[in-house]
Amino acid sequence: MKLHTASETISFAKKLESESAKFYQDLSQRYPEDMDVFLSFVKENGKNVLQIERAYYGVITDAIEGCFAFDMNPDEYMFKIGLAEKASYSEALDKAVEIEEKMVRFYSDAAEQSKSLMADIPRNFVIVAKKRNNRIPKLKSLLGKEAR
Amino acid sequence: MALLEEPIKEARRLKNFIGGEWVESKGEIKDVVNPATCQTIAKVPVSTKDEIDAAVEAAKEAFPDWRATPPVARARCLFRLKELLEEHFEELSRIQTQEHGKTIDESRGETRRGIENVEVACGIPTLMMGYNAEDIASGIDEYVIRQPLGVFGIIGPFNFPFMIPLWSAPYAVATGNCVIIKPSSEVPLSQARLAELVDEAGFPPGVWNVVHGGRTVVNGMLDHPDIQGIAFVGSTPTARDVIYKRCGETGKRVIAQGGAANFIVIMPDANVRATIPALMTSFFGNTGQRCLSGQTLIVVGEDDGFYNNFMDAVVDTTSRIIIGNGLDESVQMGPLRDKEKREKIIGYIESGIQEGAKLRLDGRANIKIRGDYPDTCFLGPTILENVTPDMRIVREEIFGPTMGVMRVKNLDEAIEICNENPYHNADAIFTSDGKSAREFQYSVISGNVGINIGIVAPMAFFPFSGMAGSFYGILHTQGQEAVRFFTESKVVIQRWL
Repeated sequence: MKLHTASETISFAKKLESESAKFYQDLSQRYPEDMDVFLSFVKENGKNVLQIERAYYGVITDAIEGCFAFDMNPDEYMFKIGLAEKASYSEALDKAVEIEEKMVRFYSDAAEQSKSLMADIPRNFVIVAKKRNNRIPKLKSLLGKEAR
Repeated sequence: MALLEEPIKEARRLKNFIGGEWVESKGEIKDVVNPATCQTIAKVPVSTKDEIDAAVEAAKEAFPDWRATPPVARARCLFRLKELLEEHFEELSRIQTQEHGKTIDESRGETRRGIENVEVACGIPTLMMGYNAEDIASGIDEYVIRQPLGVFGIIGPFNFPFMIPLWSAPYAVATGNCVIIKPSSEVPLSQARLAELVDEAGFPPGVWNVVHGGRTVVNGMLDHPDIQGIAFVGSTPTARDVIYKRCGETGKRVIAQGGAANFIVIMPDANVRATIPALMTSFFGNTGQRCLSGQTLIVVGEDDGFYNNFMDAVVDTTSRIIIGNGLDESVQMGPLRDKEKREKIIGYIESGIQEGAKLRLDGRANIKIRGDYPDTCFLGPTILENVTPDMRIVREEIFGPTMGVMRVKNLDEAIEICNENPYHNADAIFTSDGKSAREFQYSVISGNVGINIGIVAPMAFFPFSGMAGSFYGILHTQGQEAVRFFTESKVVIQRWL
């Protein structure tokens, strides 16, 4: 079932943020040596939700295409957060990079499609996409550290 | 998708809010029905003349102290109200969906618009300042002060139950007046909840009153000598023949906003990709039940290829609109407010066909409702082509999810059609050409003009305009015009001897 309305797209973004927060919470317990990085991601996920919600609730009005702005397939952005009990650290980090890439794609696509909404909504999608994108080199650097 | 939780869980009997008290009405009781589920969600009284008189008395009694309250202190009540509205944003939005049927995005949009008017009215210490001129003659100064008038009546329609009374009420009380709001008896719940929040915000008793009901309450307001003015939004016959006329007879100020039959003009250079979602919102948003909705699409130019491709895209997108309960976030269009409105709109569709329009998409047949709901109030979107300016579906207000489509040779012809229509509320053009946009803006007779905007809804700091056939009065709701409507200018000329 595709996403068409602003409210279901915002709810979907919140779901993705919540799921990925759970994933990083799990990583912080499994790999305490990099706990600070993972917990900072969890915290940032919460801020992302607030940022997106504020943008939406701040500008949603009857003048904009709230019910008709999006045409997104959620399956393209969904991810599974479960890790095998014996997953190696590098497997966990690969999974994290995969999640971030999907999140970046989701927010970028959402920004593109919501251009007809008031500028605050696409602008905030772009900002969150950048924040998620910034995580990828951080995760890759942990991967490099682990390989050494 | 699972439904969002309903804030209204039982059908309680609503009371009037008079003089800071919740008062049981002695009038007969009507059911308020959720149009998506057909369940009764409240019982609303049809208040009596004595009850509207009591509200006027309470407001009149509250007026002297309230007008003497410094504007900055009045504004603080509004700031507290604004905070409470933000706190209860979601609850208020869901109540609107339950009572009206609109989608949750539309309700949240309505809540935001209402709050924006409260925000603007918070600036009243500056907004109601007068002006002065020194030495109009030697040693003589002249200045204007703005003063409130007393008690105002605010009569709301069914299509925006929360927002529309807020186009007026915050400005009325901010300027030092007292108000009596009569919500539509079809959708009284969000105004009842709003009044609870007003009370919590600390407005003194009698400043903000709510009296539920129908004609008796309206007539009680119109006839009452202590009501200084009326702000009304509803149909044109009522706006013109009842509200405007009777306010004239009784010497009241009046804002009477009526109906609409708006046009959306598509130029051949329009950005089709960006235009389609705007058209969906314009024609089918709020299930077409708004005075800013597009009703007739005018496609300009003789290029059959452009027309066919454009209309194919419009029909394809329209046919995929998801219909259902507005508390399902995936739903794009809710039901109509009630069965009678649905039947009226079907009547318009049939009249269009009889007058020669070609049915391109039939919303009457095979309505796919997402979820298990009675189809009593649901109607799918309908598109009629080969429409002409003299048809009823162009000249009368339909107020439903229909799109009539006509073709014209050039922009001049399109503007002429817009201007010959009896209504002049909101018209829009979609184009990439500045000259066409400028020409349209300059020549079209319309209170609200959109350029690549499908719903021309003015922000709270601009007037909600409207012209002949759609508006009766001089000053409009919202912003500075509302401040002027709710205040009298007093000129003082002074000389100290």
